[in-house]
Amino acid sequence: MNRKPRTGVRILQYAILILFTIFAFYPVWFAILASGRLGDRLYTLNLLGMFIPTEWTFENYRVMLFERPFLTWFKNSLLVASAATVFSLIVATSAAFALSRFRFRGRETFLVLLLALSTFPGILSLVAIAQLLTAIGLYGKHVGLVLAYTTGSLVFCTWNLKGYFDTIPIDLEEAAMLDGCGPVEAFTLIALPLARPALAVTAILAFMGSWGDFIFASVLVPAPDRLKLAVPALYSLANSISVPWGYFAAGAVFVIIPTLLVYLALQRYFESGLTLGGVKG
Amino acid sequence: MSVWSGKKRALTVLLFLLPTIIAILIFNIYPTILNIYISFTNRNKFRPNPDCEVGLTGVLDPLCWPAFKDKAPVGLGDPYRLADPLLKNYGDLLGTLFTAESLISLVKVLVCFVPLLVANWLNKRFSKEATPPISSTWIWIIAVILCVFLGLIVNFGNSLNTLMETGDFIVVVFRTILFVLVRVPLTFLIGLILALVLNSSNLPGRTFFRVMLFIPWGASAVAILMSLVWQFMFREQGTINQLLLALFNIKGQVWLNKPASAFGAIVLADIWFSYPFFMVSILGALQSIPTELYEAADVDGASWFQQLMNITLPLIRPAVLPAIVLTSITAFQMFGTAYAITGGGPQLAADKPGATEFVMVYAYRIIYSVQNYGRATAFAVMIFIMLFLATLWSLRVTKLTKGANA
Repeated sequence: MNRKPRTGVRILQYAILILFTIFAFYPVWFAILASGRLGDRLYTLNLLGMFIPTEWTFENYRVMLFERPFLTWFKNSLLVASAATVFSLIVATSAAFALSRFRFRGRETFLVLLLALSTFPGILSLVAIAQLLTAIGLYGKHVGLVLAYTTGSLVFCTWNLKGYFDTIPIDLEEAAMLDGCGPVEAFTLIALPLARPALAVTAILAFMGSWGDFIFASVLVPAPDRLKLAVPALYSLANSISVPWGYFAAGAVFVIIPTLLVYLALQRYFESGLTLGGVKG
Repeated sequence: MSVWSGKKRALTVLLFLLPTIIAILIFNIYPTILNIYISFTNRNKFRPNPDCEVGLTGVLDPLCWPAFKDKAPVGLGDPYRLADPLLKNYGDLLGTLFTAESLISLVKVLVCFVPLLVANWLNKRFSKEATPPISSTWIWIIAVILCVFLGLIVNFGNSLNTLMETGDFIVVVFRTILFVLVRVPLTFLIGLILALVLNSSNLPGRTFFRVMLFIPWGASAVAILMSLVWQFMFREQGTINQLLLALFNIKGQVWLNKPASAFGAIVLADIWFSYPFFMVSILGALQSIPTELYEAADVDGASWFQQLMNITLPLIRPAVLPAIVLTSITAFQMFGTAYAITGGGPQLAADKPGATEFVMVYAYRIIYSVQNYGRATAFAVMIFIMLFLATLWSLRVTKLTKGANA
């Protein structure tokens, strides 16, 4: 399309783009600015300070890193989310392999059932899950949370991986099987290495689902402070009146910025619609 | 792939699916059943423990199973029992819905939407005919006029007020649907505008804008933290009020203390989180439209608006419809934005849900703060049913399950 738009149209287009870019970026920028402001001066009444760093201190970061258990929370979140991702990926790969490579009765029903289950928000079975975890002695422990997250991201991972395995031609595996491989061996030796990018993307997205969760983490591991995960811990930090908001901002920047970078790195996967089938609430 | 056959093959398939099936059974199916059972009991923070002799408790509550019996906390008040009457939790939530007055109001409210359904049905019928007797735009306009007219006849506002007096369930669900109806079209519009601009030819800086405009999608992964940041924009000394003061010399208000502006604040913040999804989906659909169509339209002298209505929108429809349906269901389940920004407030009256207490916020508050598990699970069961129907319908509309046949 080589239609050159008129100047008026161009100006309008850029006006829209710039306006929405400010809209998109400002809240993140605001968090960064607030993290460098002295904690007790949450609001600067100097309007300019709301947009550019008129003052900057690393005091909030120092307090968060060395005087508050932020690193412990961060580590807890990393551990729980990673463990859940690994379990979920192993279980999902095994199911996705069977669903992609074998034709059996009830296969389609099973897939649709999985999808229907995944649309229910976990909060609606939270009471029952909490009771179950109490019974097996895992309530208030990270392991219980790992179990909840593993099943939480299981359906998403299974559908995503199955979709990708379907795109890998089966001929390669059949050739290997002629040479004497079993179906499982052929799959792990040939299809799995080919699916490495899809596995990575699925893993990262599953990780993010657990990483950003608030509901399960706040109900299933409510206390003590050293066991909390980063997101609910920062939430209660922001809501306690006695704590300067700058501390929260510094902690939030530590959590938000890496998350943003991961998503920006994955942008083209979102744009290719690879994950449309697994959009999560 | 049929190297193996018969029993060995069936066993292999089962073996590979087994971990998933077990996980789903333990963490999805069983909690749902237990959930339904608890909804018929009076379990709450004062009665957390089971009485294994009562009803099905001994079978369903894991604390009654021999293996876990020693885990049951003891000495914490009375054990929970079946609710008296059995449907008490549901009754509490629905309130006075089943009185003649409320039911008539419900019918009145629903009647007002009948013209829209008729319009939809007519359009579907006419779309198969080559020369429809009346254009679809006119059908919709007439339908909307009829809706307003009917609303005036049955006194829509009054009936709605009667319904809102019935109980928490109607209030919360109605507010949530209102939220979806406001949020989704606005998000779609913004996504469409941005996608159209980003798709225009030789646009210097396109990549930069695409990356910047994508940021909120990433932020939505940690929605609750980002929403706390948003909350500070709306405070008395927040960015919005400071800007209003500096630019227009208007003294802003405390946005989150008034029901309408608190609702608006949540809509604005949630639009921020969700427009990139539409932008990306529409952009993808736009790029698959062959440019020859526009060139032909140019030759015919069609205006930009005519091209938008007759080429662009019809052609992106198949890709965008699933996105709209999915977003509506996601918006219905929105939690973080409202919980972090208003916490469900502002409170209008004691013992009533706050002005922005949407479905998930209500559920969370009943579990976490009120700790009335019986009522929370009854609420969950009703939402389950609603969501299940919506999901079945959406799976049909979006054809997402087509992957199942692949």
